[in-house]
Amino acid sequence: MKKNKISPRTISALKDFICVVPALIFLAVFTYYPICKLVQISFTDWNLLNDRWNYVGLKNWIWLFHGSGTKHLLNSLRVTVLYSIGELTITLVGGMILALVFNRMSRSFSLMRAIVFMPKYVAMSSAAVIYLWILNTDTGILNYLLRAVGLPAVDWLGNRHTALISVLMLTGWRAIGYGMMIYLSAMIGIPRDYYEAAALDGATSAQKFWKITLPMLSPTTLFLFVTTFISSMKVFQSVDILTSGGPYRSTEVFVYKIYLYAMEDFRMDRASVIAIAFFILLLVVTASTFKISNKNVHYDS
Amino acid sequence: MKKMLAVTLAAAMTAGLLAGCSGGGSTGGGAAKAPETTAAQETTAAAAGGEKTDETKAEAAAPAADASKYEVTEPITIQWWHALEDQYSQTVQDVVDGFNSSQDLITVEPVYVGNYAAVNEALVAAHAAGTGLPAITVANTPYVAEYGAGGLTEDLTPYIEATGFEIDDFGKGLVDATSYEDKQVALPFLISTQVMYYNKDIADELGVTIPEKFDDMDQFLEAVSVVNNGTTERYGTIIPGWDQWYFETFYLNKDVKIINDDRISTDLDSEAATGLVNKFKEWCDKGYIYWANGEDASSIMRQNFIDKKAFSVCHTSSLYNTYVDKCDFEVGMSWLPAGDTKNQEIGGCVLLIPSKNDQATKNAAWQFLSYLCSKEVNMKWAKETGYIPTRNSVLHTDEGVKFLEEKPAFQCIFDNLDLINPRIQHPGWSQLATIWKNYMAEMMIEDVDIPSKIEDMTEEINEVLEDS
Amino acid sequence: MNGNEKSYLDRQLAAKRNKKIKAVIQYVLAIIITLIAVFPLYWMISSSLKSQEEILLLKPTLWPHEIHLENYSNVFQRANFGKYYYNTIVMTVGILSSQIITGIFAAYGFSKGKFKGQNLLFMVVLGALMIPLQVTFIPIYIMCANWGLADTFLGLILPECVSPYYIFMLRQTFMAIDDSYIDAAKVDGLGRIGIITKILTPMCKSTLFTVTLVTFTNGWNSYFWPKIIAKNEHRRVLTVGLAQLRNTFAGQSTMNNHEIMAGAVMAILPVVVLFFIFQKYMLTGYSKAAMK
Repeated sequence: MKKNKISPRTISALKDFICVVPALIFLAVFTYYPICKLVQISFTDWNLLNDRWNYVGLKNWIWLFHGSGTKHLLNSLRVTVLYSIGELTITLVGGMILALVFNRMSRSFSLMRAIVFMPKYVAMSSAAVIYLWILNTDTGILNYLLRAVGLPAVDWLGNRHTALISVLMLTGWRAIGYGMMIYLSAMIGIPRDYYEAAALDGATSAQKFWKITLPMLSPTTLFLFVTTFISSMKVFQSVDILTSGGPYRSTEVFVYKIYLYAMEDFRMDRASVIAIAFFILLLVVTASTFKISNKNVHYDS
Repeated sequence: MKKMLAVTLAAAMTAGLLAGCSGGGSTGGGAAKAPETTAAQETTAAAAGGEKTDETKAEAAAPAADASKYEVTEPITIQWWHALEDQYSQTVQDVVDGFNSSQDLITVEPVYVGNYAAVNEALVAAHAAGTGLPAITVANTPYVAEYGAGGLTEDLTPYIEATGFEIDDFGKGLVDATSYEDKQVALPFLISTQVMYYNKDIADELGVTIPEKFDDMDQFLEAVSVVNNGTTERYGTIIPGWDQWYFETFYLNKDVKIINDDRISTDLDSEAATGLVNKFKEWCDKGYIYWANGEDASSIMRQNFIDKKAFSVCHTSSLYNTYVDKCDFEVGMSWLPAGDTKNQEIGGCVLLIPSKNDQATKNAAWQFLSYLCSKEVNMKWAKETGYIPTRNSVLHTDEGVKFLEEKPAFQCIFDNLDLINPRIQHPGWSQLATIWKNYMAEMMIEDVDIPSKIEDMTEEINEVLEDS
Repeated sequence: MNGNEKSYLDRQLAAKRNKKIKAVIQYVLAIIITLIAVFPLYWMISSSLKSQEEILLLKPTLWPHEIHLENYSNVFQRANFGKYYYNTIVMTVGILSSQIITGIFAAYGFSKGKFKGQNLLFMVVLGALMIPLQVTFIPIYIMCANWGLADTFLGLILPECVSPYYIFMLRQTFMAIDDSYIDAAKVDGLGRIGIITKILTPMCKSTLFTVTLVTFTNGWNSYFWPKIIAKNEHRRVLTVGLAQLRNTFAGQSTMNNHEIMAGAVMAILPVVVLFFIFQKYMLTGYSKAAMK
């Protein structure tokens, strides 16, 4: 009857659609719905301890942008940006340097490359625990080495000036090999004849690097920049284990601040406004990095 | 096959989504309502055989002193959340085994959740969800008010009346510390207080004692610290900066209220409070004291004391046995130097029953709770660890004398038992505490402008207190 | 002319010498960097075998005087590491299998399927990449807790069931496969499931494997969500359990880093073994993503 009127094409489309339905449902429930829910919570005074909550209008937003929350927002913003700059420098500059050093095709080099890359696969939580031990003020190996060469021991995690550096040491250890591998695999893709032509023109190695390698790697750099930037904005684990946001808030990055408000103070209302602010920031950052760099990247065609 | 699955999944998810939406949907205005608890309550009710809601309501309405109401009639397994670390695991096991074998119906499973902060997180989260709650749990002493105000805890008063639990055997301070608005919302379990541990060998050698007055600290610190050319070889004392509990009594004894009587402001910017900050700072700068802060602060502090790189440390009395075991010198224990008063505060943990449990679980939990708070169990803890006996019938009798013979260092605590007060109770306390200890550490360790930092801190704390 | 030739030879020689010096420098640098990179792991293993007295020495020893394997059994007994292992394995397998199933089907639908709003819906998937769990965890947590999923495997797995990254990677790979294969399969009477299992999956084996490996390590190493949803000891995973070890041992003694390191070794081991077995795939895993 009516059923027969549905064309095979529609049925096929329906079947194709059903393939993507499970994924879409999960994303709706676990990604998009929570965002809406967050917006709702941000207009309440919900404390997890209480069973009841009220709508309080813009109170939390005012607290965040024009109240005592502003200070925390700015502090987290500052710490997160500093951290991001650090991780970007390590991944991009460090990764590039390592790629040049390890750019040699032999068995021993491929083994060494694997070793340098491996920390990426070591769980951040395990790595952080190792670094806690290495950075220990009294019996840590790093301070021992410092003392051995006549430098004073450093209270790495207890000091405002070194806490973020310590976190970066840990992240850098895991990230630098990754940057190296990405750059290396891109370097291999650069056609040989560019270099040969440059050699004929009498270009030095440095010139070759600045004039050929670097520009040819710009799409890779963009990729690394965007992905590292976004992931570094979301840093949590290393801070949670190494410093717990301390000493005195000097490592309270955004995600950790949200976590503290939600799971330690149980202030869901405040956690929600910061989470939304953070989300908007992420969107703006991603969109603008794409936009700016799209203009400046050299695509080889 | 796959299609079926997808459709079912879709249906299930949509249903969940709708339920979530309707639960979270607004009723607008100032109408207060529980977010998303409908679904959760249904689940719990179903799990408990549908008996939960009605019975609890009846309970609250008529708290009759009828012991039969709280009897356990059917076999039941209950969970006990605790924060007792590895070194106590044997005692925990002994105590639980003792209870399990003492009766047939209840089986207790002890669960180590983590430190007090972790227990707090897990408990509040489970309470908000209405599921996954333990039958009975420990809680750090300052949380009593927060939990009582939030309705997390079961009011134990009817249980105490019905079963004739000898609540009066606890000191008044302990009873106060575990009640909220005249309701007994918890019972004292493992109680400790702040003390100063010191190296008795060095003390005898130098002929010094821990001063009784805070104002004599200058002289004392100068005598026991060893500072050479600006580097400290031996600290006079170490103050734990990671938990304000360790230094808050210095404030209270200088008549700083911390939370004013109006409940919405702090006097941490008062002259007395500022004076204390300046004093601590002076000692830090001179290298006399070490402000222990950071992730490993606790172990660094203890290691320094064990290695004789610190003459004394301020810590909790519960760690007495640990210190004695680890040090190769005689460990002395002393009351903290006093100000105008020489009060101190309760530390450690209390026991409570989460209110969202069903009645059968609560009854079983109550039996176990009475057992844990009983004199015998309490004395076992007191003997095997550094926690203080809690019972008047121990403290003021021959039993107490016998206990002191075994642990003479506890004399200083026994002398001052009446001076151990409940914690400050305020729903915003833990937020205040976090802000306070952060600023303190910053002022002690970094070179900052102290008056302006105190101003910032006060402003921040006032805002939290007003909003709690 | 003769002189010219000579200077040319000289230059050749000098260039050769230069090259050699460069190679030596390169080798030395590479070895130093490798040693620095591997040191934390070496230090972890070495410390995990020391006695407590030895880790507290002010002059650390590079390798333990005496091997103390009992650190490992201590951690197993006292911190319930066996349970953590079990939980981690169940969680990872759960996440992995659901991501593979939802991922493959969705990737098929978006690459080879045809339906209205396809591109729009794919943008929805990509958009999800932009929304991290770190932003949305509060509502998700409340949702899961209200469903009674706190401290359960389902609670650990459910929010991670779909990976937009996985869908995206597979879609790219499937797109690269010529439609003629699929048309031919359709003529042979294969349905969608047949096409996916018999044609697409075998043809993209290596990418599938690589992406799956990355997903596996992500699951094994996940920390943020397990820490929030599984607060109870009996559903604690390795990563969280390891971070908690310091608490568990707090009070016991001042320094338990030898035992904590033993825990770290056990937590890391599976991934490191996997890394060396499947080195080829692991190394390309991330660069594949870069090459999109």
